[in-house]
Amino acid sequence: MKNVAGLILNVDGEDDSLKDFLSHRSLSTLPFGGRYRLIDFTLSNMVNSGLSHIGVIGSHKYSSLVDHLGTGKEWSLSRKTQDLSILSGSNNYHIGRLIKVNLRNLQNNRGFLDATGAKHVLIATPNLVTTFDFRNAYDIHLKNDSDITLIFKKDDPLYHLKDNDLYLEFAKNRVSGLHFKREHTTGHFFTEMFFIKKSILMELLDLSERTGDWDLLDMIKYNIDTLRVFGAQHTGYIKRVNCLENYMKTSMDLLEYEIMQELFLGKNSIHTKIKDNHPTLYEDPAQVSNSIVGSGCIIEGNITHSIIFRDTKMNVGSHIQNSIIMQRCDIGRNVNLNYVVMDKDTKISDHTTLVGKPHAPIVLKKGTVI
Amino acid sequence: MNTECVAMLLAGGQGSRLGSLTFNNAKPAVLFGGKYRIIDFPLSNCMNSDIDVVGVLTQYRPYILNNYIGDGSAWALDQVQGGVHILPPYMGQKGGRWYSGTADAIYQNLDFIHRFDPEYVLILSGDHIYKMDYSKMLAFHKQKEADLTIAVMDVPWEDAHRFGIVNTDEDHCIKEFQEKPERPKSNKASMGIYIFTWKELKKALLDDAGNRESEHDFGHNVIPMLHESGKRIFAYPYSGYWRDVGTVQSYYDANMDLLDCDCDFDLSDRNFRIFSNNTSRHPQFIGPQAKISNSLICDGCIIFGKVENSILSHDVVIHKKTSLKNVIVHTGAIIEDGAILENCIVGARARIKGDARYISDPTEPAPEIHVINN
Repeated sequence: MKNVAGLILNVDGEDDSLKDFLSHRSLSTLPFGGRYRLIDFTLSNMVNSGLSHIGVIGSHKYSSLVDHLGTGKEWSLSRKTQDLSILSGSNNYHIGRLIKVNLRNLQNNRGFLDATGAKHVLIATPNLVTTFDFRNAYDIHLKNDSDITLIFKKDDPLYHLKDNDLYLEFAKNRVSGLHFKREHTTGHFFTEMFFIKKSILMELLDLSERTGDWDLLDMIKYNIDTLRVFGAQHTGYIKRVNCLENYMKTSMDLLEYEIMQELFLGKNSIHTKIKDNHPTLYEDPAQVSNSIVGSGCIIEGNITHSIIFRDTKMNVGSHIQNSIIMQRCDIGRNVNLNYVVMDKDTKISDHTTLVGKPHAPIVLKKGTVI
Repeated sequence: MNTECVAMLLAGGQGSRLGSLTFNNAKPAVLFGGKYRIIDFPLSNCMNSDIDVVGVLTQYRPYILNNYIGDGSAWALDQVQGGVHILPPYMGQKGGRWYSGTADAIYQNLDFIHRFDPEYVLILSGDHIYKMDYSKMLAFHKQKEADLTIAVMDVPWEDAHRFGIVNTDEDHCIKEFQEKPERPKSNKASMGIYIFTWKELKKALLDDAGNRESEHDFGHNVIPMLHESGKRIFAYPYSGYWRDVGTVQSYYDANMDLLDCDCDFDLSDRNFRIFSNNTSRHPQFIGPQAKISNSLICDGCIIFGKVENSILSHDVVIHKKTSLKNVIVHTGAIIEDGAILENCIVGARARIKGDARYISDPTEPAPEIHVINN
């Protein structure tokens, strides 16, 4: 994979349902799974597949991304032979729909692409929850002498795909069409991860300056007959977090042991920023089942089917079910929470009851005090 | 280079009284409180005391210890000029030899200290669990214009015979030493933490090295010699949590103190944090039938069974229908379906079969602690 540079895009949610979490951070740094940020999956998959030069496009809400990634040390990317670049990103525009691969962002970061000696670029979005070894897909990319290799997955109703998601159409092994779900569905959807020859990418970038295109995927779609586009299949677990409902469902998927095993117990681990926390202390009255708990917590209450991030304190007599409690929350005595998603640093005072619905959980913004 | 105070951490001991816990690991690198290793405590104390040059003297089975210390960045000891230095025994023009005592280990590294040319040298050992701001002890040492300051704490009178005991005047000046006395005259016990004025230490170590009778030990030889020659030796009074974890029982008890809410040793205190060299692991997964109470659990654990009053290090897997009570489990151990463990220490990466039964007699006031390794 020495000949491949990684590029992680900056994307937005498909709708406004995550806006309370994204007022101060980009989707890439949305907390996930007890200790991670969404971008950890794509970034770790790239590192674990042997990529050594990776650029991450930021948004105008930089601070959480820079704070999280730092020099890339936790992903082994701050060595003399490996590096992590945080690249500039513009606002994401809607052109009647959300732009997927924003050409403005690629144009603004030509310097990164020019500087890399790599002949291929692996482009992926930061909001994919999966463990994937890109090496097989890369072999397919090379073997077919592809200009572009799109990584796809067999369709399944579990995936909650959006109208704006893309499906691949095949003709004799080659990808012959790309269609939005609202237009036409096939049995295979695009995972938003793909390899592209750098020379082709540069040509398309030059072309886009003249045509005024916004989305690289549009250009691929329009030029599908002249480009050599192939597909490579992803057979494992993959979910895209692009709305609150998918965030909830994907989070709760982790409580299924088989999925948890696939994501976290395989030979490639998902790396994240390391914090110095004490081990989690379960006090005497605590009762915890079917949950994921981060380090540094002090737990005195009952927790079922929930995800508790690092450094959370939970007092006696409280019950949490079907909820996601992010970092450093403080939950008082005799609190009842069901279907609640709490952002960081939220405080719930004694005797509070909050009950949301499975499809409409109650969302508490960062720093809320109730 | 000039540094006011250099710390020398004696970490070469085997810790043979910890049995199989130190078969392939030096005592300072033994796990404590789930995620910590014993050496985290003195290193974090250094960090919290603004001491940024630390020499770590290693000898016995140093691989895990060296690997764990790494570049010292976990304790902010990755400073450009200074930081942490691992000091194993070495060869010179006249050959080389193992460290033959605590004082000899420092003697063999006088050149190292000399490079930093400090005013003071802090001598620490890697087998105690405590939090201490050494800068306060250093201020005391300077205020008393001492040649040597020894940290002491009050121990129960009935235990005093197990310690090195000092008798002091009202000004904390040490008048007499008693090593494990049958009839202690005081209950002030040495904690094995010394601050020397550098030029006095250098002179004392050169004298001691020339003495063929000496066992080259600070407690037995160097300090009595300084006392006899009339040096200013003071006792710095410390009060707070401090435990020697040199035996299986004391190691077990100190771990269990962390589960006792009346104990004043608090790992969650943000004002005096204990740091450790962490690696990335997934969060704890607590299965549907799991039951956990009064326990300390680290990242990477997967729990399907019952865990009570226990401490689990990283990556421990507890299968279904198991029961753990008063158990310490080290990194990566696997407890298989059906095992019942009480009052045990399970070694790193041990695999406990489902038919394992370690059940204590509930009428026994102090049940024996089983150390299980494989």
